[in-house]
Amino acid sequence: MKALFITLLIALSLPLGLIAADSASAISDIGENVHEAADHFKAEVEHIGDNVQKEQNKLTMITEKFGVSVPTLVAQMINFIIVALLLYKFAVKPVAATLDERQQQIADGLQYAEEMKAQLAAAERERAEKIKEAAAEAQRILTESREQSKVMIEQKTQEAATQAEAIIRKAGEVTERDRKTMLAEVRQEVARLVVATSAKVLSRDLSDVEKDNFSESAAKELASASN
Amino acid sequence: MKRDKKITKLAKKLVELSKDNGVVTEAKVGEVLAGLKQAKHSQHLAVLKAFHRYLRREVALQTAVVATPGTLSDAALKQIEANFTKIYGRPITAVTTLDASLIAGVRVRVGDDVYDASVAGRLQRLAENVH
Repeated sequence: MKALFITLLIALSLPLGLIAADSASAISDIGENVHEAADHFKAEVEHIGDNVQKEQNKLTMITEKFGVSVPTLVAQMINFIIVALLLYKFAVKPVAATLDERQQQIADGLQYAEEMKAQLAAAERERAEKIKEAAAEAQRILTESREQSKVMIEQKTQEAATQAEAIIRKAGEVTERDRKTMLAEVRQEVARLVVATSAKVLSRDLSDVEKDNFSESAAKELASASN
Repeated sequence: MKRDKKITKLAKKLVELSKDNGVVTEAKVGEVLAGLKQAKHSQHLAVLKAFHRYLRREVALQTAVVATPGTLSDAALKQIEANFTKIYGRPITAVTTLDASLIAGVRVRVGDDVYDASVAGRLQRLAENVH
């Protein structure tokens, strides 16, 4: 942008400068020719002095007719340059800087957008990979869970069967023990009844003589016992 | 505690003094009690209680209590005395008590030992052996 403005200023100032330069060089060339012609052809000047004077008058008439003045032209060029420099310093340069800054920002934005696009694509790829990995992991976990549940079911089934067997065995043992206890109680009760009945029968049926005889024999038994 | 040990030791010594040829006799016990009365021991009540306890135990060890539902001949008692004197190695005196629950036979108790030859005892052992 800056270069564009500089080129524009040069392009605008160039024709004016060329015109002024052409005019000035033409004027100076004509003057010199006139003076040389006057020197070399001094003699002839006298002859053609009138003609030269006419030519000079003609040139003066041209410059006056077009209003071209070298100092004015130089001052105008200086003014134009000053104005151009001021414009360049206070208008073109900030605008160019702003435009460059904007352009840089746009470029940065575009680069950032490109980077974001690349990052987005990378993130998308990563997300896809993650989803794929997650799906694989989920499948693996599901498979392991199924295997574990299968093993656990088998283990629990076996434990349940073992516990059932233990319970049945324990119940059998308890039943057997209860049966034995009941039988022992029945035997004891029967024995107690038999003993009680026998005691009553013996007490009633044995005579005193028989009791004394039994006591005597028991005493002799104890007397003969040697502990 | 130390005083109880002294009293116990004294009571056992008094029991030994109450024996005549290894047998506790009434006369010896009377002599011991007279001597104890003269000695006027400061713990005489405790000494008497301990002496009575050990004397009862000694008498029980020297006595065969023969329980029977009826009568028992003197010859049988003598045989029992002789046998238990031989078994325990000390003079044993037999005394009889009536116990109708025995039905028939005898039961002899010497100290903490019991010898049962009664019908009731045999029936009881029979009931205990039936399981």
